[in-house]
Amino acid sequence: MANAAQARQATNDEKRGRGGAKTVRLSKVYGTGDMAVRVLDEVSVEFPDGRFTAIMGPSGAGKSTLMHCVAGLDAATSGQVYVGDQELGALSDRALTRLRRERIGFVFQAFNLLPTLTARDNITLPMTLAGTSPDREWFDTVVRVLKLGERLTHRPSELSGGQQQRVALARALVTRPRIVFADEPTGNLDSRTGAEVLTLLREAVDDLGQTVAMVTHDPVAAARADAVVFLADGRIVDVMDAPTPDRVLDRMRGLGDHS
Amino acid sequence: MIGIVLKELWGRKRRLAGSLIAVFLGVTFLTGTLVLGDTLAGSIDGYFSRAYGETDVSIRNSTSVSDAPWSARGEIDASVLERVRKVNGVANAEPYIQGSGQLLAKDGTTIQSRGPRTAGNWMTDPKLNPYRLAEGRAPRAPDEVVIDKMFADKGKLKVGDRTAVLTPDRVAVTVVGISRFGDQDAFGETSFTAFSLEGARRHVTRTPGLVTGVWLRAADGVGQDELAARVRPVLAPGTEAVTGKAQVDEGMTMVEDGFLRVFRIVLGAFGGVALLVAAFSIHNTFAITTAQRTRESALLRALGAGRRQVVTLVGVEALVVGGAATLAGLAGGYGFAALLRQLFTQLKIGIAMEGLVVSATSVLIAAPVGIAVTLVAALGPALKASRVPPLAALREVAVEAGRPSDTRVIVGGVLAAVAAGTVVLGAVGEQTAMAAAGAVLTVVAMVVLGPVAARPVAALAGGPAARLRGVSGRLARDNAGRSPARTAGAATALMIGVGVVTLLTVFIGSLRANLEDGVAGSFKGAIVVDGGSNETAGFSTALAGQAARLPQIQNAAGLGNGNMRVDGKNAGVHVGDPSALRRVLDLDVRQGSLADPGAFAVSKKVADDKGWRAGSAVGVQFADGARQTLRIGAVYENADLVGDYLVPRTVWNAHTRQPLDLMAFVELRPGASAGDVRQALTALAKPYGAPEVETRDAFVSRQTEEMNGFIGVVYGMLILAIVIALLGIANTLSLSVHERTRELGLLRAVGATRPQVRSMIRWESVIVALFGTAGGLGLGLFLGWGLGTALGNPFAPQAVQVTIIAVVGTVAGALAAIRPARRAARLGILSAIASV
Repeated sequence: MANAAQARQATNDEKRGRGGAKTVRLSKVYGTGDMAVRVLDEVSVEFPDGRFTAIMGPSGAGKSTLMHCVAGLDAATSGQVYVGDQELGALSDRALTRLRRERIGFVFQAFNLLPTLTARDNITLPMTLAGTSPDREWFDTVVRVLKLGERLTHRPSELSGGQQQRVALARALVTRPRIVFADEPTGNLDSRTGAEVLTLLREAVDDLGQTVAMVTHDPVAAARADAVVFLADGRIVDVMDAPTPDRVLDRMRGLGDHS
Repeated sequence: MIGIVLKELWGRKRRLAGSLIAVFLGVTFLTGTLVLGDTLAGSIDGYFSRAYGETDVSIRNSTSVSDAPWSARGEIDASVLERVRKVNGVANAEPYIQGSGQLLAKDGTTIQSRGPRTAGNWMTDPKLNPYRLAEGRAPRAPDEVVIDKMFADKGKLKVGDRTAVLTPDRVAVTVVGISRFGDQDAFGETSFTAFSLEGARRHVTRTPGLVTGVWLRAADGVGQDELAARVRPVLAPGTEAVTGKAQVDEGMTMVEDGFLRVFRIVLGAFGGVALLVAAFSIHNTFAITTAQRTRESALLRALGAGRRQVVTLVGVEALVVGGAATLAGLAGGYGFAALLRQLFTQLKIGIAMEGLVVSATSVLIAAPVGIAVTLVAALGPALKASRVPPLAALREVAVEAGRPSDTRVIVGGVLAAVAAGTVVLGAVGEQTAMAAAGAVLTVVAMVVLGPVAARPVAALAGGPAARLRGVSGRLARDNAGRSPARTAGAATALMIGVGVVTLLTVFIGSLRANLEDGVAGSFKGAIVVDGGSNETAGFSTALAGQAARLPQIQNAAGLGNGNMRVDGKNAGVHVGDPSALRRVLDLDVRQGSLADPGAFAVSKKVADDKGWRAGSAVGVQFADGARQTLRIGAVYENADLVGDYLVPRTVWNAHTRQPLDLMAFVELRPGASAGDVRQALTALAKPYGAPEVETRDAFVSRQTEEMNGFIGVVYGMLILAIVIALLGIANTLSLSVHERTRELGLLRAVGATRPQVRSMIRWESVIVALFGTAGGLGLGLFLGWGLGTALGNPFAPQAVQVTIIAVVGTVAGALAAIRPARRAARLGILSAIASV
C-alpha cells in the first residue's frame, strides 16, 4: 500500500508542485494603539513537505493564531505566508476560500461535521462545494485507511467521538491538500481513541505522503510528530526534531506551562 | 430575580430585538386599526353635533322608514309653524325643507359623489343654519341657489354661473352664493343646494303646505327638553318634537350600528389577522430563544434554581418584553393610524378625518392583549425548558427538537379528519354554521399538524432546490427539515395570513360570480341607462317613458328605489311598473303574475320566510306616515336586480313628490343597431343629468364593482399579514443563523464561498415560505369552497388573484432571507470556530 501511495504522491507532486507551508517574519497584532496586542511577533517557521509538525506552547502563546494565519482563516498584520508556493497576502476572500477548499485540510477539536449530512457527504463536502466529484479510487483508499467503510451512511449524531474525528480526518485528506491543519484533534477524546487518531495522522504522513501541522497541548501527542515547534509570547523559542514525550514535557516546563 | 432577568435581556440584544419586534408589530396593527375607528367615530360625531346648527328642538314626521343616518323623513303639514311660533319660550321657528336635488356641473352632467345629493331651503336664522356663506349672498328669487364649496369646486361653478338642479325635474338656477359647513367644504360628501324658502317649496316639496320639518330655537332660560315639552301639545298626529341633542345622538347611534360597525369589523379583522400572525411569530421567537438558553437554564437548575423559578424567569422576561413592546406598539399604532387615515382619505370614504382620536377603550383593549399574547406565547417554551433535566442540557449536544411526538400525529390526524369532514358536510348540506365551525377546527388542526408536515414538506419543497442549487440547496432542504417545530412555527404565521386572504378572495369570487350570474340571468336586453349606485342619485321617471317611444326601441322600463316599512320593519324596496319590467327582465315568476301595473311583488326568499303567497295581504307604511295594505300580486325568484320587494310605481308615487328611477332597462327592436340606440339615448338622457348609457356587459360588471373595493381591502390584509409573517421568518432565520454559527464557520473553513452560504440561507427561507404559502392556499381554497358552497354560491376561485398570492408569498420568503443570509455570509470564520 505504501508503494501505491508513494506512486500516487509522485504524480500529485507533478500536478500541483511542492506541498508544505511556511511563514516569513509573520506578525499578527490585534487592536490598535494602547490596546494593541502582538500575538505573533515576526515568526518564521516551515512545515516541510511530507512531514508531521507539532506546534506547542503555553496558553496564549499564539499557537492557534499561527495556525489560522497559515490556513488562510486570518489575515497577517505583516510578513508573508506561503502554502506550497502560493503567497496568501494578496488573495481575495474568494481566492482564499478556493485555497482552503483545494489545498488545505482541517481537523478541529470538536464540531467538525455538519449534523444534517451523512459521513460520506461530510467527507466529500469540500468537493461538493467546489462542484467537482471526488477521485473514486482515492476516496476508497482514504475510507479504507480510516476504517470508515461501514459508517458512510451514518449521521454525526450516530457516530462516536473517535469516529467523528476519523470522518473529519477523511474529509481533510480526500482533497489531497498540500497541508492538513489539526487543531487539538485529540482534545475531546479519551486517551485510547486519541492515540488512534494520532496513529492515523502519522499514517497519513508515512503512507500517504501528507504534510500535517498539529496544534496540541499534549506532550504525548506532540511526540508522535517529526518535529515540534515551541511558541511562547508570539515567538518561536525552539524547534525539536525527533521528539519524545519526556523531552517535550521538559521543554514545556521550561516555558512555564504545567498543563 | 428581576436583576437576573434584566441582565439576561441586556446581554442578549439580538434575541431581545427579535421578541420585541414580533410583539411590537402585532400591537401596532391592533392599535392602529382601533385608533382609526375612534378617529372616524370622532369625525362623524363632529359632523353630527353641528348638523343642526344651534337648533334646540325640531319637529318632524314620526314615521321612520330607514335605518340609514342622513335619510330624510316624510313631509309634514306646514301649518304647525304658525302654531309653534305662538308657544311661549320659542325664540324663533323656521320651516326646513330637504329632498333630492342633483346639482349639474358646468358641463351639464350630474356632479358625482358618494354622499346624498340634496336640495332644500337656506335657513335665514344663522343660529339654525349649520351652513355659513363663504362667498356671495343668500338666495332671494326662487331660481337662486347657494351651493357648498366642495361641489362648487367639483362642478367648476362660481358665483354668478347659470346651471341646473334636477329635483328630479330640471330647474334652471343661478348660483348666488357658496357655503361651507363649519370649517369643512361640505357635510361629508353630501351636496346641499339651498334655494330660498319659496324656491324650495316650488321645486323640492312641490306641494303647497308641506315642509320636511320645523326647527326651533329656545328663548333664553328655556332648556331643550322644556321647549320640546311645551310644543308637543300643538303638534298634529303623526309628528313629533325631538331635542337637538336627541337628534345628534340618534344619528350617531345609527352610524355606530350601521356604517361604523361594518368599518370597525373590517378594521378589527385587519387587526385580528395581524395579531394572530404576530402571535405565531412571537411564539416561535420565544421557542427558539428558550431552546438556545436551555443550557443556561440547566446551569441555573444545577446551581439550585427550582423549576418554578426557571419558568418565572422566562415569564418575567416575557412580561418585560411584552410590556416594553406593547408601549412602543401603542405609539407605533398611533403612527400607523395616521398612515391608514391617509390611505382611507385617498379612497374617499366621504368623511374627512381630522386629527387622531384615541379612546380609552382602544388602549384598554390593545395593551392587555399585547401583554397577554406575549405571555401565552412564551409560556409553552418556558415550561418545556423547565422540564429538561439539568445534566442533559449541560452536555455538549445541539439543542434540536427531534421528530414530532406520536400524540401530536394522532391528535392532529383525528382533528384534521373531523374538521375536513365537518366542512364537507356543512358545504354539501348548506349548513353555514357547521361549515364555519369546521373551518375553525381546520385551522386548529393545521397548527397541530404543522410540525408533522414540516419534514416531508421541506423535503418535497426543497427537492427542486437541492437538484438545481447543488450543495447549498441540499443543505437548505436539510436545515429546513431538521427542526420541524421551528419550521412549522415560522410557516404557520404565513399560512394563516395567506389562508385568510385566499379564503376571502375565493369567497368574494363566489359572491361576485353569484351576483353576475343573477344580474346577467335577469336582464336580457342590450342597453341600460344607469344612474349609478348612489341611492339619492337617479333621474326623472319621465326618461324611461320617452325612451320607450324611440322607434328603435321595443321596450323600456325604469326601476327606482326607496325605503318603507313592510310588515312593521324598515325595508329597502325597488319601485317600478311590473308590467313594463316583466318585458325587459326575467324575474322567474313562481306565483301570480306581473301583468298588472299595480301588482306588488316579493321575492321567493322573503315569501318563504314570512309564509306569504300570491294573494297574501301585507301591511306597509310609507315615509309620509300613510299606512296601506297591499296584496301580493306575484312571487319571483331572481332578486338580484329588483331586491326583495317590488312596489308598483302607481302606489309609490302617491307618497312621494320626487319620483326617481335609478336605472332604465332597454330592449331593442329586432334589427336596430345598438350603437345607434346608445347615441339616441345619450342625447335623450342629456337634459336628465346625463346618466350613463351602458351596454349590458358594462352594466353587469358595474354591479360587481363595489366588491372590487373590498378586494382592495383584502390585498391590504395580504400585504399586512405577509409583512408580519416575513418578519417572523426573518426572525426565525436570524436566530437559527446565530445558533448555527459554528456550522457556518466550519462550512466556510472547508471551502464554502460567501455566495454559497447566502444561497443556502435564502433557499431555506424560500422552502419555509413555500410551505406556508402552499398550506395557506390549500387552506383558503378548501375553506372558501366549503363556506361558499354552504351559502349556496358557486365555487369560482380567481386564478389571477390566487396566483398573485402564491407568487407574493414565495417572493416574501426570498426577501425575508436577505438580512439573515447577509449576516451568515459575513460571519468571521474564526469567531465562528472560536465559539466552540
